[in-house]
Amino acid sequence: MPKDSPVDPRGPRFSAWMTTVVLAIVLLTGWWRLLAAQTVLFAMCAFISLKLNPWGHVYRFAIQPRLTPTTEREEAAPLRFAQGVGFVFALIGTLGYATGLTTLGMVATGLALVAALLNAALGLCLGCEAYLLLRRYAPALARPQ
Amino acid sequence: MTGVWALLGALAVAGAIGVLLKVREGRISRRDDSSTADLPAPVRELLAPGVTLVQLSTTFCAPCRHAKVVLRDLADRTEGLTHAELDITNLPDVAARLGVMRTPTTLALTADGTEVLRVGGVPKRDALLAALRPHLVPPSGG
Repeated sequence: MPKDSPVDPRGPRFSAWMTTVVLAIVLLTGWWRLLAAQTVLFAMCAFISLKLNPWGHVYRFAIQPRLTPTTEREEAAPLRFAQGVGFVFALIGTLGYATGLTTLGMVATGLALVAALLNAALGLCLGCEAYLLLRRYAPALARPQ
Repeated sequence: MTGVWALLGALAVAGAIGVLLKVREGRISRRDDSSTADLPAPVRELLAPGVTLVQLSTTFCAPCRHAKVVLRDLADRTEGLTHAELDITNLPDVAARLGVMRTPTTLALTADGTEVLRVGGVPKRDALLAALRPHLVPPSGG
């Protein structure tokens, strides 16, 4: 698996805002195909490369040139781990909506939205902070990449 | 309509978690039951004379870098204080034995391994220094 280089931390924050909007639309409309697309996006970022994130490209071409440059860099490992956590919730949500278990779909999507919003608004990565907890109670999920 | 409630619920939960974590960030706590005997070996190896700040981190922890900057600077400027970082990504038993659930968590340990205090999240420099002060050897002439 290719290792991503460290990134400008404002990119993932922008990406998290976009994810929050997508998940909010899913909750409001129950449009599970959109959630399925988001699930695929999470999977690509977590398991292949963060460079596949279209919001990252939007950030680099449309937003970053307008901001003051920063030397601050964030390691890619926590970001990819967070995408993996997002993938699990989005997958459960998609399966819930698609199979008629709408409540399950809403709960899973809602939890993913909570995580994305905390990341966007406060820069908090719940999955990363609670990595040790995840590792203890769900070892397969938290296996280091 | 249910979707609207689900969205409002999610926003409320996010707000509550955000407030809770911000309040707890950098909070200093003391444990009464700390015993020097059950300090895991990887932690014990890091102990230096005076007080050692053992920062527990994982590969997936972004705030650990901020904590490292704060603690390293504090240790550099404070006599008798050492900073050491321990990556416990692959040492879950160390985390379990220390009762550590999140990273960064920083333990302040004396040379014999007694836990003076611990800090969850990114430490607040001044509050931490004030709490450590009684345990630090006073500088000569001070």
